[in-house]
Amino acid sequence: MRANKILLLVASLGTLALLLVAVWRENVDRDWRRIQRDYRSRLEREAAAGFAVQLRQLYVPDLGATDRCISCHVGMAPGEHGIAGDPVLGPHPDVAHDPADFGCVVCHDGQGRATETADAHGSVMHWPHPMLPARHAWAGCGSCHTHVAVPRRVELAQGLALVERNDCLACHVLDGRGGTLRPGSAGVAAPDLSRVGARGFDRGWYDAHLARHETAEAETNGPWRTSFGPIAAEDRALIEAYLGSRVGAPELVTAKATFHELGCRGCHKVAGVGGDDGPDLTHVGDKDPGQMDFHRVPERTLASWLAAHFRDPAAIVPGSRMPEMGLDERQIELLTFYMLSLRRSDQPEAYWPKDRIRAERFGEREFATDGATLWGTFCAACHGPSGEGMRYPGAAAFPAAANPDFLAIASDRFLRETIVHGRPGRRMPAWGESEGGLRRAEIDAVIAHLRSLGGVPAPRETEPLRWVDGDAAAGAGLYAQACASCHGERGEGKEGPALANPRFLAAASAAYLVESIRRGRRGTSMPAFGAASPTHRVLADDEIVSIVSFMRTWEEPR
Amino acid sequence: MSSTGIQRFGENLRTLPRTLREAVSRTGAPTTDRARSSFVFGNLFLHLHSVRVHLWTFRWSTTWGLGIAALSAFLVTLVTGILLMFYYKPYPDAAYWSVKDIHFVVPTGKFIRNIHRWAAQVMVFAVFAHMARVFYTASYRKPREFNWVVGMGLLVLTLGLSFTGYLLPWDQLAYWAITIGANIAQSPREVTDALGVTATFDPGGLVRFILLGSEEIGEEALIRFYLLHVMLLPLLLGALLGVHFWRIRKDGGLARPADADRRVAESPVPVQPTFTDAPRKTYQLAALVRGTSPAVGRAPEKTVPAMPHLFYAELAVFMLTILVCVALSLVSDAPLKEHANPAVPENPAKAPWYFLGLQELVAYSAFMGGMGLPTLVVIGLTLIPLLDRETDGTGEWFGGPGGLPLVLRSAAFGLVTVIAIEAFAIRFGWLREWFPDVPQLVVTFVNPGTLLALAYAAYSLLCVKRYDSTRAGALALFTCFLCGFVVLTIVGVHFRGPNWSFYWSPADWPAH
Repeated sequence: MRANKILLLVASLGTLALLLVAVWRENVDRDWRRIQRDYRSRLEREAAAGFAVQLRQLYVPDLGATDRCISCHVGMAPGEHGIAGDPVLGPHPDVAHDPADFGCVVCHDGQGRATETADAHGSVMHWPHPMLPARHAWAGCGSCHTHVAVPRRVELAQGLALVERNDCLACHVLDGRGGTLRPGSAGVAAPDLSRVGARGFDRGWYDAHLARHETAEAETNGPWRTSFGPIAAEDRALIEAYLGSRVGAPELVTAKATFHELGCRGCHKVAGVGGDDGPDLTHVGDKDPGQMDFHRVPERTLASWLAAHFRDPAAIVPGSRMPEMGLDERQIELLTFYMLSLRRSDQPEAYWPKDRIRAERFGEREFATDGATLWGTFCAACHGPSGEGMRYPGAAAFPAAANPDFLAIASDRFLRETIVHGRPGRRMPAWGESEGGLRRAEIDAVIAHLRSLGGVPAPRETEPLRWVDGDAAAGAGLYAQACASCHGERGEGKEGPALANPRFLAAASAAYLVESIRRGRRGTSMPAFGAASPTHRVLADDEIVSIVSFMRTWEEPR
Repeated sequence: MSSTGIQRFGENLRTLPRTLREAVSRTGAPTTDRARSSFVFGNLFLHLHSVRVHLWTFRWSTTWGLGIAALSAFLVTLVTGILLMFYYKPYPDAAYWSVKDIHFVVPTGKFIRNIHRWAAQVMVFAVFAHMARVFYTASYRKPREFNWVVGMGLLVLTLGLSFTGYLLPWDQLAYWAITIGANIAQSPREVTDALGVTATFDPGGLVRFILLGSEEIGEEALIRFYLLHVMLLPLLLGALLGVHFWRIRKDGGLARPADADRRVAESPVPVQPTFTDAPRKTYQLAALVRGTSPAVGRAPEKTVPAMPHLFYAELAVFMLTILVCVALSLVSDAPLKEHANPAVPENPAKAPWYFLGLQELVAYSAFMGGMGLPTLVVIGLTLIPLLDRETDGTGEWFGGPGGLPLVLRSAAFGLVTVIAIEAFAIRFGWLREWFPDVPQLVVTFVNPGTLLALAYAAYSLLCVKRYDSTRAGALALFTCFLCGFVVLTIVGVHFRGPNWSFYWSPADWPAH
């Protein structure tokens, strides 16, 4: 009886003690309370008196944002000025978007509703969207600015060189550089050009500058006179292209240009355009680390996984067919950064930026559509920057598409059909609009560029495509003697490419096949059977025709 | 001079607390045992107690307070659950975010939710333990048979409450656990499919549809589970609890051995002669109790008034339960995984722990594991008091023929059998792996679950014969099933990984 009383007392006191612990945890020991108390203690007396320690949040219903990040990062809260230089309490850096209008998570990711540090930063179990690390913060732009158009990387470099050479940075600030007037010269506070590509600029800037330069010549010795001078028209075009790419995220533009330059889209789709040999990368920056294998990756983050993967794809993803690209650390960093920016948020259309509307509603491209850019972006990773055909360790060599022997007999029609439909069974994907996403005009531009790489004009297809009518039975025997050792007994391909490929046979004209056999292809193992050689006997024209006739029998349904 | 109105008002104000106390309790604070008895009788809640309680009841080993612990846990979930309802929004997406807000923003929200979750776990555990206690002390016997049946109803309701609460956070854990649960509800389809009559007769699909309100787990399922969880099941549980407690009193308090009077020590508190005064309505009410009233023809020395002695014991258990819940809540947070995503299945998707024993059997046959065997077990448990009509050992731990040795032998048999069958099935696979074309009906009726049940039933019959006692058979069967339940649950919780494959430890699970 007495024991029950004692038990009741002990249990009650124990419960009371635990409740007090809970009260203390709730009201004193919360991260954001500690941080806000610290903030208040560092404020001026007047500001501190008006500062209440309380939970704060940014609420933007249209974007579904309920972001309590400012409960700790209180210096970024509307109306607060922050403590400059403090990693937690500092003010938000000057960016195009006011956090009060957009919230935090839309750019930075993480868990906006959370009020405890680890949960809010999102690197916890069961939160699929951890925060972007600070050095990759600009990747967050990709959530909305999915379609920022970028020029080629060489053009970026040329544009920057011209901007520097023409002394624009004497007056203008660009990506945090410049605006430093020369000592002793009167200053002109010129507009900051860092976001001029997003805002747009007056196309008459050059004439206006020139007019000021000419009037200034008479009066003073100021920057209008010394720092500005006439610029050639082609240089102006490069400068304008460069300025068009200044959208406030220079690293992101460089990273995207690098991605295009390395030809990654030859195998990977982004937003419906690209090859299908590798995984679609449209949402790769949204991947949930909780669903990934980090066994061979130094750090449990998506960025670390991506970087390790770029170094050695097959070591991270067993069985990956992605070649080792031999990238340097800078390229790996840029590619990782761009991958992190490949994310898609489903904001209401009213929040879409111009680039996204232009791309998704008006079909504008995010890459330049001249032949050289298209070749570099979609073809060069396999066929080589000059069409020489790439060789990667452990992978079969890719065909040299710019081989003059090939281009001399391959008609534009043959090239176009091959590009549009691809080559099933090989790594060449179909590039037609419903598959790889390239448009007719773009494919024609690629073909024109390829011709310029090979330096051979297009053959004229005058004969009917299928004039061959030889002795297929005799052709079979000849094929077995001369061709089967490389191309396989039934054309299935061995060292040489498969010939029984239906897409190939459908696209190839009789003339193409006959001439290929007769002239061979220099630079490959395919000999010219029409010419004398110590290794094989010369095939007469009618024998070649019969071989082609035999190849045509593969087209018939069996 | 008589007092003025002002003075009387002052006096009334001064005695206000006492007047209020008397108004509430009708009699004021009781000071004698007799007044206390009258107080207990006169109070709506307290009168569920007997007025006087036998000293046997106060031995800790009599009940270990498990019934009160289960009730306490229920009361805790009731209070915390009502608090959670202020913030919870029963609609997909909104549900998840409201639970996130409860966790992160609502003052003490996380703490309250943790307590709710832990109290629910404690309740399930206490209900199981309470059932085992009542069984092993043979306390279900006449006149308490019906209360055992009510208890079975309470067990099912408790599991139902816990299971319906599982879906409400609308996270991955919830979504996929309910997917498993709904598929188990659909498991009669295994038999109707095998018979080829699913198109015309599909009880499994019907049950699943009634449960989910749709073919998919969506807003209909959520609102159904919510309604069941916060209204229907608690009301039913409350009603059955009332019956359960009322019957304890009407059936003469807790079961005790026939020689209990002799075996308890002298009363540690002075026993006042209670019924020497002129009889009051106590007698009339007591006359309604079956059997002879404790006060007639016998000395009441081995009983003490429920107030305050029993109340101290009950309150102690109550506070202890709260202490356990609060302590667990401070140590471990209730889980909240990613937002429910039908496109990303959890692997492994596991039901709540108390269903993992069933899920382990479901892996062999959905119907047997999910429907057949559980139904048999519930029916079997319900029938125990109606079949065991012996009197030997009532109120004694492991009372009855065989006693503790029989229980230990049964436990050994139960453990060895279940571990052997599980090990065999894990190591060598089952019919489906050996003969891919075997008809499903064969697997439905020949699988580890059914073989285990058969082995236990045979062993139990053997014990009935050997001890010439139904109680012995019941002891053997109950012990075996308890062992089977525990082992299968542990296997399901700890040793099953992705694709329900066997792993020695979750650390060995392959990465995604």
